[in-house]
Amino acid sequence: MENVLSILFCLSLFYLSVTSRVKAYVTVLQMQGLLLTVLLVLPFVKHFSLYALILPTTLFIIKVVFIPRYINKIIRDLDIKRVIEPTIQQFTFLLLVIFSMTIIFIASNILSKSTDIETIPFASGFSAVVVGILVIIFRKKLILHVAGFLVLENGIFLFGIAVASELPVMIEIGMLLDVFVVVFLMGIALNRISSTLSGFEVTALGRLKD
Amino acid sequence: MGLILLTQGIISLLVILSLAPMFAGLVNKQKAIFTGRIGAPVVQPYYELKRLLRKETINATSASFISSISPVINVVTVAIAAAMLPIGFARPLISFEGDIILFAYVLGLARFFQILAAMDIGSSFEGMGAAREATFAVFAEPIFFFTLGSVAFISGLTSMYDIYHSVRLDNVSYIVFIIVCSISVFILAVTECSRMPVDDPNTHLELTMIHEVMILDNSGIDLFLYQYSSYIKLFIYAILETSFFYPFGVQNYTLAIVIFAVVTLILSASLATVETITSRFKMKNIPEYLLFATAIGVLNLLIYTFTK
Repeated sequence: MENVLSILFCLSLFYLSVTSRVKAYVTVLQMQGLLLTVLLVLPFVKHFSLYALILPTTLFIIKVVFIPRYINKIIRDLDIKRVIEPTIQQFTFLLLVIFSMTIIFIASNILSKSTDIETIPFASGFSAVVVGILVIIFRKKLILHVAGFLVLENGIFLFGIAVASELPVMIEIGMLLDVFVVVFLMGIALNRISSTLSGFEVTALGRLKD
Repeated sequence: MGLILLTQGIISLLVILSLAPMFAGLVNKQKAIFTGRIGAPVVQPYYELKRLLRKETINATSASFISSISPVINVVTVAIAAAMLPIGFARPLISFEGDIILFAYVLGLARFFQILAAMDIGSSFEGMGAAREATFAVFAEPIFFFTLGSVAFISGLTSMYDIYHSVRLDNVSYIVFIIVCSISVFILAVTECSRMPVDDPNTHLELTMIHEVMILDNSGIDLFLYQYSSYIKLFIYAILETSFFYPFGVQNYTLAIVIFAVVTLILSASLATVETITSRFKMKNIPEYLLFATAIGVLNLLIYTFTK
């Protein structure tokens, strides 16, 4: 079952690399949050404990409800254009993603022989990290950098699930708090930038002076 | 025994050849219902084919012999491809080790001759359509090999009949695999049969067309053959999709027929839905769309290589 959800996660990464809508990024983030929640809940279906539900619930509230809503609010408030502006062609981007994913899958298969990891969730998590970084590199819009960061973070989460079936709950919650604060700060920063400069693109930031 | 196999093969080929226009009619009917119209009857494609049969064939003066042999080659190659498909549990008419590659390239031959014929007429519109068809075919071929190829790779078999018979639906991850496969087969069908997000089958504005523009100057029997072969092609891809879901483990004919009907209906409904709710992509976005399907195939291959 974990493999199945990881496949869906990979599919969402592919979708992320072909779509040209800002809204689609938010939807994908929401979907990934949902997938991660299900992945976290799955081990506890057999031996239920209330304590173990804290993390999935927090994850659900933050990743599926709060962050997408907040990003949508920023998009609405700042009147951001709905088309993403990539710096390279989408086709090349997708090729890059396929290529890196292939390498990651092969590498994690080699890794899984010497260590005790599950290949598919591990590789999917790793791919999400790489795709997140690629999104940050190859997109002009600042809001998409936030999205890329969140994808990267989702990847780390999946990674954690693959490496150890239970990470200490406190660490995971700490991570969630970090992410939330970063998104929040980014939102505030975006608001500030919009009141000073008219664009929300990285290119505009390059021209900043004292 | 050999005679029974032969008859079964011939019957399944006849089933494909006769039901093919019906499937296109089904899609059109559902599309009409979705957009709030009553729509033409499901058997409308048969009437249209009959009408074309009665018309006179006119060829351009600049056309050479290629234009006159191309429609025949088209229909024959597509029929050969249809003869390789396992419909039901019967062994198809043409079936040998490695026929999966022949299947792809027989369809490729049909496309090749269609492109040649389009350029043969000497009209710039047809030439443009031919160029587009050739470009998108380049991106469509990897989809086929990565999806059916991944199933072949997993099962270790290379004959279409054996590949489909190796599909077992009692394994959960196999079901997901098949569903993921069917997404890319769907995209392949949309591309190869020039359906909506890639090409609009109804438009008659030359600048936006791909497939339709290539047969713009054909008429009569030639047009009949082209249309008929495109109906068969669409049905071939539909069967590629439905065959994934057959209960090959249990040889139950009623169940197989029910599954065939249900999956065909779902497939035509999803084709109709996609055609209703999406608009045609910009030409420059089509390669991305096709590469997306290839990516799914690559993912399939990766996942099932490493979970085995």
